[in-house]
This record gives sequence, structure tokens and C-alpha cells, in this order.
Amino acid sequence: MVKKILKNKQAVLGLLMILVIAFIAIFAPFIAVNHPEEIDPAEKFAEASLKYPLGTDQLGRCIFSRLIYGARYSLGIAVPVLFILAVVSILTGTISAYIGGGFDRVFTVICDIFMSFPPLLVVLSLVGALGQGIFNIMVAAVFSMWVWFAKVVRSYVLLEKKKGYIIAAKIAGCSDIKIIALHIIPNILPSLLVYFSTGIAGMMLMISGFSFLGLGIEAGVPEWGAMLSSGKAYLYSRPLLLIYPGICILFTAAGFNLFGEALRDIVSPEEV
Amino acid sequence: MLGYISNRIMGLIIVLIGVTVLAFIFSNISSVDPAEAFARRNILNPTPEQIEEIREEMGLNLPVYRQYFNWLQGVLRGELGTSLLTRNPVRVDLAEKIPATLSIVGLASFWIIIITVPLSVLSAVNKDSFFDHTLRIVTTFGISIPNFWLGFILLVAFAIMLPIFSVVDYGSLKSLILPSLTIAIPMASSSIRLLRATILENMKKDFVTYAKARGISKNKIIWQHVLKNSLPPMITVFCQYLGYMIAGSAIVEAVFSWPGIGSHLVSAIIARDLPTINGCLLIIAVIFVFFNLLADILNSAINPKMLSEAGEV
Repeated sequence: MVKKILKNKQAVLGLLMILVIAFIAIFAPFIAVNHPEEIDPAEKFAEASLKYPLGTDQLGRCIFSRLIYGARYSLGIAVPVLFILAVVSILTGTISAYIGGGFDRVFTVICDIFMSFPPLLVVLSLVGALGQGIFNIMVAAVFSMWVWFAKVVRSYVLLEKKKGYIIAAKIAGCSDIKIIALHIIPNILPSLLVYFSTGIAGMMLMISGFSFLGLGIEAGVPEWGAMLSSGKAYLYSRPLLLIYPGICILFTAAGFNLFGEALRDIVSPEEV
Repeated sequence: MLGYISNRIMGLIIVLIGVTVLAFIFSNISSVDPAEAFARRNILNPTPEQIEEIREEMGLNLPVYRQYFNWLQGVLRGELGTSLLTRNPVRVDLAEKIPATLSIVGLASFWIIIITVPLSVLSAVNKDSFFDHTLRIVTTFGISIPNFWLGFILLVAFAIMLPIFSVVDYGSLKSLILPSLTIAIPMASSSIRLLRATILENMKKDFVTYAKARGISKNKIIWQHVLKNSLPPMITVFCQYLGYMIAGSAIVEAVFSWPGIGSHLVSAIIARDLPTINGCLLIIAVIFVFFNLLADILNSAINPKMLSEAGEV
């Protein structure tokens, strides 16, 4: 599979974009020329210069450095959330589909109830209830999306469960846990990987949307959505304040989408 | 068909009961005391007695399940309580805000349909052509673009650089164009991909070969036979989009200062206005559930055969 990924131009491009952002996030302190939260009142809205490569914002903070540090928030929120989502949804979805019967039916009804709220709405109300904070927005994101992921996992497991090799494993006396862990999950993993990697872009967009609304992330934090939100007041005079963070979000989300879709072409080529 | 619909409606009632419970739980798990928040907003320095008085007046001293049943009784009578923020009945506030949101969502749906159908057919028919590749790149950007940013870009481009529209404008049909496009572009991008893939899949099927063998023109096969068979997944997804658009309107409404239900909900959340939050959640969830049902009914009307295949899932 790795070989196929390296052969696919789109996958390589997406992967490179993701790696660039990951590199920036990890080495942010070395790339940024200034401290992202350092205020320089004498240098408000400064033009691009050697000291401030992209100029400064309304408080005289270095835009370039803030954008660099923004990568940390973007990936630092989306990646852990996705990881927790993956664990929760694989556990619940697999168990529900494998046990089946009444248990599965109850699980489906619970899913239906959760799914009658658009995820955005669940996050909105949970952030409203739990209060601001990056941790709370992560909890809210997991809580709002797990059913959607679990339901996909469940449908994959249901398909896989009926296949001959599972029945063969059962006849051979394999324990249920062994069948789930060693047979079902490894076989559905490629399809899940595709689903998760396209999901991550959507999640990043959602989280930056929240900080744009002023929910979740404290003011002043160099998160791209929050930067857009504070730049909103200068729409006429300084449209660049809005354009830079948006390009960063677009670039990162596009990286994940390109990679995820190329992955889908590789995993299930008949759907192209 | 009727049996199927009544089955679905029974399921719907269970889901709706769950929705009311969940909406109620969501708005109640909070460290903030709504009675205190209300008192602080309306009285300069509220004494503990005054806060208790307000708590009793609003029924917040009752056990949670009693509060839920009181609220539910009200809901069944069409009463959603009184907003703590505007002091109007929640029903009145919502009735005022919903049309604003629905008008954006309605126009956005129109854009989505007229953009998606022709473009996906063209790109599926000319698979791997220049047009197809370009469209793929454009739609990749479309699904990766943050919609609030897209809104600003449209504002900067069409209200500031080329002053065709005004930045803050509410009421006219023209004022709907930019917000609805902002919602429609990302949605259209993902639906183009889905419809293109579905059309391509259907074009491989036997009925297309048969139609070709009968000498039916290629255009007719695509537009009548293939398109009709590709619609069901589109309808399902589209009806889901309608729910997303209403919930997602919060963000677009913030960009365009649009007085709809989304921005109403956000301000209610910031102000801890419980009755309004409950009301908004309930209304949006009901609309969402309703559109999902509509999708199933439409699909079963278009293609009754699907019932036997997917009816009981």
C-alpha cells in the first residue's frame, strides 16, 4: 500500500502538504521570527519588513509568527480528537455490529437520536454548556461526531461479518475477541483510514469555525480561526489580516482532503 | 408504501422523544447557574435571596426531571418558554428569526441544484477530460475552504473592490445572494463529487448497455435513465445538507450580520439563555429529522424497488 501511495501523484502532493504543516507545527519556535503573543504598540499595522515578514496586526503582533504557531493549534486539536474518535467509534461500532440482535438495535436508535442533531449544533450547545477552552471544544467535538463514525464502522463490520473467512474462523474455534481484533479490524482498517483522513479536514474546518464564532478558544490565542475573527473589524482597511489565516486553513484542509481522496482511489479503485 | 411510511413515522416519534431529552440534557449540563446569570444581568448587585426568588419564578429549583416534563408539556402546547435575554416568548423570537435563515438556505439549495446537476453530468460524461480534471481541482478547494473565510472573500471582492453588493444589508433579494453563495459553494463541491461518482457507477450497469443496444441516443440515456437512477443517494445527502445548512448558518450569519436562527443561538449560548437554547436546538433537530424523513419518502416514491433492498435498515 505504501508503494501505491508513493506512485499516486495526488497522494504524494497531499502528504507533502500535511508534512509541511506538521513540520511547521513541530518546529514553530525555530521558524517564527517573533513571539506570537508579543505586543508592540508602536508597530500597529506595520508593513512587511525584515523584522515582521508579513507585517503586524491591530496590536502590533507579528502576523507571520502567529500564523506559524497557528499550525500547532490546528493540528494539535484535530489530530488528538480524531484519534479518540477512532478508538471510541471502532470499539462501539465493532462491538455493536458483532453482538447484533437487540443490543445492536438499541445502539442504532441511540445513533439515530444523536444523528438528528447536526454535529455543529451539538458542539455549539456543548461548548455553551461546558464553557470556553480548548479541552472543552475537543470533548464537544468527540461527543458530537462519534456516532457518525461509529455508524460507518458498524456498517463495515456488518458487511465483513457475513464473509466466509469469519465463519471459517468461528468454526475453527477462534474466540470472539480474536476474531474482532485479528480478523475484522485489520480487514476494515484501510476503508476506515480513508474515512478518517477525509474526516480530519472537515473537523479542522469546524473547529476553526468555532474559534471564529468566539466559542472555544480564548481571545488572543494565535489560532487561525480566532485570527480571522479578530481581523473581521478591519475588513475594509486591512483585508490581508483576513486573507493570510484563511489561506493557511485552506492549505491544511486541502492537504488532508487530497491525501484522503487519493487513499480512497487506492483502497477501492472501482469507485473512481 | 403507506406501511413503510407509517413505520418510519413510528421510528421518528421515538427519535423525537430522544431529541427532546438530549436537547434538554445539553442545555442543562453547565457549571453556570442560569438563575444567577439572569439576576446579574437584570439587577445590579443581586442578593442571594433575589437569586433564589428568580430561581423559583423560573422553576429552576425543581428537580431536573420535573423541569423536563414541564418544558415538554409546554412544547406539546407550542410554548417554548420565555427568553431570558429578550424577555419575549421563545416561540415569537424563533418565528421572527427562522424565515431569515430559511430564505438563505432556500436560495443556497437552489444554487446547489443548478450548479451540481449539469456540472457532474458533464464531468462524468467527459471522464478524464481537461474539464473533469479542472472540476476535480476546483471542488477539492471547494470542500477545503472554510466557509466563513469564503464569505469574507466574497465580501471583499463583490462589496468592497467591486461594489455590486453592500456589506451590511438585510431584507432585499439581492442581499441574499452573497450569504447563500457562501453556504452553497462548499456544499455544491461535495455534492458534485458524489453525483459524478454515482453517475459513473451507474453508467457501467446493464440497463445502460441495453439502452445503447436499443439505439437510444447517448444524451437521452444520460439525462433520463442514468440521472434518474443516480438521484436517490443525492436526495438523501441533499436533505441532510439542508439540516447542516441551518445549523451552519450560525457561522455565515456572523460574517454577514444576518439576523437568523444561527446567530440567535450563538448569542443565546453566550448569554446562557436556556429556554432559547432549548427552543433552537429542538427546532433545528426537528427540521433535520423531518428532512431525513422526506428524503426517504422521496426515494421510495422515485424508486419503489429500494424498499425491498434497504427498507428495513
